[in-house]
Amino acid sequence: MSRYSERRKAIEASLDHQNHDGKEKKVNSKRAVNQHLTIEGDKEKFKELLRRRLIECGWRDELRVLCRDTIRERGIHNVTVDEIVEDVTPKGRALVPDTVKKELLQKIRTYLHEKAFK
Amino acid sequence: MCDIGCPHLQEIKASKGVELYRIIFSSFVAASNSVARKRKAIHCYCFVCKSVDYRLHSCLNCVYFGCYNGHHIQDHAKHKKHYLAVELSHGNVLCVACGTYVYDDDLLNVAHELMVRAGSRLGMGALYRPWEPSTKVLELLRKNPKRRKIVPGVAIGLRGLINLGNTCFMNCIVQALTHTPLLRDHFLTEEHVCRPEDQPGCLVCEVSTLFQEFYSGNKGPLTLHRLLHMIWTHARHLAGYEQQDAHEFFIATLDVLHRHCKASAPALPENENSQRDNPHQCSCIIDTIFTGGLQSDVVCQACKGVSTTIDPFWDISLDLGRGGNNIGDDSSFNTSMGSDLALSGEQSKQTNSGPTTLIDCLERFTRAEHLGSSAKIKCNNCQSYQESTKQLTMKKLPVVASFHLKRFEHSSRLHKKISTYISFPEQLDMTPFMSNHRNNRNLFNSGASSSSSSSSDSAGEWNSSGSGSLSLTDNRYSLFAVINHLGTLDAGHYTAYVRQQNNHWFKCDDHMITKANLQEVLDSEGYLLFYHKKLMEFQ
Ligand SMILES: [Zn+2]
Ligand SMILES: [Zn+2]
Ligand SMILES: [Zn+2]
Ligand SMILES: [Zn+2]
Ligand SMILES: [Zn+2]
Ligand SMILES: [Zn+2]
Repeated sequence: MSRYSERRKAIEASLDHQNHDGKEKKVNSKRAVNQHLTIEGDKEKFKELLRRRLIECGWRDELRVLCRDTIRERGIHNVTVDEIVEDVTPKGRALVPDTVKKELLQKIRTYLHEKAFK
Repeated sequence: MCDIGCPHLQEIKASKGVELYRIIFSSFVAASNSVARKRKAIHCYCFVCKSVDYRLHSCLNCVYFGCYNGHHIQDHAKHKKHYLAVELSHGNVLCVACGTYVYDDDLLNVAHELMVRAGSRLGMGALYRPWEPSTKVLELLRKNPKRRKIVPGVAIGLRGLINLGNTCFMNCIVQALTHTPLLRDHFLTEEHVCRPEDQPGCLVCEVSTLFQEFYSGNKGPLTLHRLLHMIWTHARHLAGYEQQDAHEFFIATLDVLHRHCKASAPALPENENSQRDNPHQCSCIIDTIFTGGLQSDVVCQACKGVSTTIDPFWDISLDLGRGGNNIGDDSSFNTSMGSDLALSGEQSKQTNSGPTTLIDCLERFTRAEHLGSSAKIKCNNCQSYQESTKQLTMKKLPVVASFHLKRFEHSSRLHKKISTYISFPEQLDMTPFMSNHRNNRNLFNSGASSSSSSSSDSAGEWNSSGSGSLSLTDNRYSLFAVINHLGTLDAGHYTAYVRQQNNHWFKCDDHMITKANLQEVLDSEGYLLFYHKKLMEFQ
């Protein structure tokens, strides 16, 4: 076990070093929001909410079918993950229901408003 | 993809086990505490292009983050011969040498364990997983290929009920109950365990048989004389052939069923949250489905001390009159209106003229009310009799929310029916009426000011607690049954609309079942409204 805690310390030390060498002076607002969401753990909550909504509305099942189609089309032994992603991503984006997009958008907006990111 | 698995991962696992993966997962995929989350927030970006998304991966061998879309993690892998990388939003393992993601049972187990842990620490509850049949169920399904499916146009679950002489009040409640999804599932899967002392004449067995009859595929109308007789013997105040109140019958039926199911219900787990999670302290099927917890906060106006109680409820009775809900007397209504002057004229007018929507009714129901100078209560905090405000909110929502619109007004002077049109939605979000939502906004503000947030706005609002942290609790409901009272107080008739499956509505008028549509349902007057929770929270 101690070997791993050493390794963990090494990761931490190395990362702290990264942080101090000043490369990150220009922090844009997108990154600030992302950092804030991550630190509060709210990013995970938004992700989980989105996941639930996408399962509920059948989006995930639709996407499964799309992936299966691509695999069948290209042959199971020839297809790569990249090809599936490339094929399915635009279709998947288009299939996200407007209600889901709207709900997430509204919640993120309310959230940011409350946190006074304007 | 890789049929034989990835030799590179096997090699790492053989020499180092799954610990490396565990460290990366718990630090950067599902960070389980605030220190880890902070580290993740600050340090997780591509070492080459600085992007934080573009499918960021962490090298499994060394401290290196690189994005996939910019090919930076692949470059690192090839350059350093560090072929394995962990994708940081879901924790999937990529092997750059094999050119694909690798699914390894040991790693998947680690991922699941850490995901659940991080989720519960963030207060997300059990992570929502869609139902997957167990191996046992799959085997049963394979052995029994015959299916009875509910598809559009199939009349399964629809049976008329013979009127035994003014028994439409019972018929419509039976229609609503047999179309309550969770109750139907309970009885169709024969979960009732009968005790020998309940036989013969077990009421729950009778109800169980009734459900089986409803869904047997037969179409003829059913006669409920045995059930009627049983209920008469168990709830004597309902006996006789006069027209009864459907709402009273509904509550009596739940009560009788609860008393019969209670004994065979599983024991409740003992923990400090049991009062909150189970306000009725009973795990029978009736309480599992219908019981919610109503929180009452009484605030002393002298010291602002709050005393809180939580009471179980099976349904919510909503006043349709002009006054306040909790307290009928006009003086208290005026007092709470006095603090309402800040409202726009239109809104105050609306409040003045009585509710017109179910949301209005719920707003009023959960509004703080002045108890008035004639109703001083002893405050536990300052130990004196003081004027106070009282507010009711939802502490725990039931699976089925039943609303009773109080259309019958009985007082010493008069009995009358209020036929005011109250619109009710197909989809209902109860979030604005939850205790944590309502209280932190207006508990200490003047009584009715909360109604200044327009109902359409607040209905979609995020359920945020005082600290501003997010909650994933899902409080959305959809309508599945409506009971209507037609006619006058003395010469009336009950009918029910039930939802057979999503968007297929039927009108049940005793032995007659006819197709209906949603608009017709929403346009009806409405006496009892039944909503089913859209998403079940798994414990
Ligand atoms: Zn490999
Ligand atoms: Zn590396
Ligand atoms: Zn990059
Ligand atoms: Zn029984
Ligand atoms: Zn019970
Ligand atoms: Zn006091």
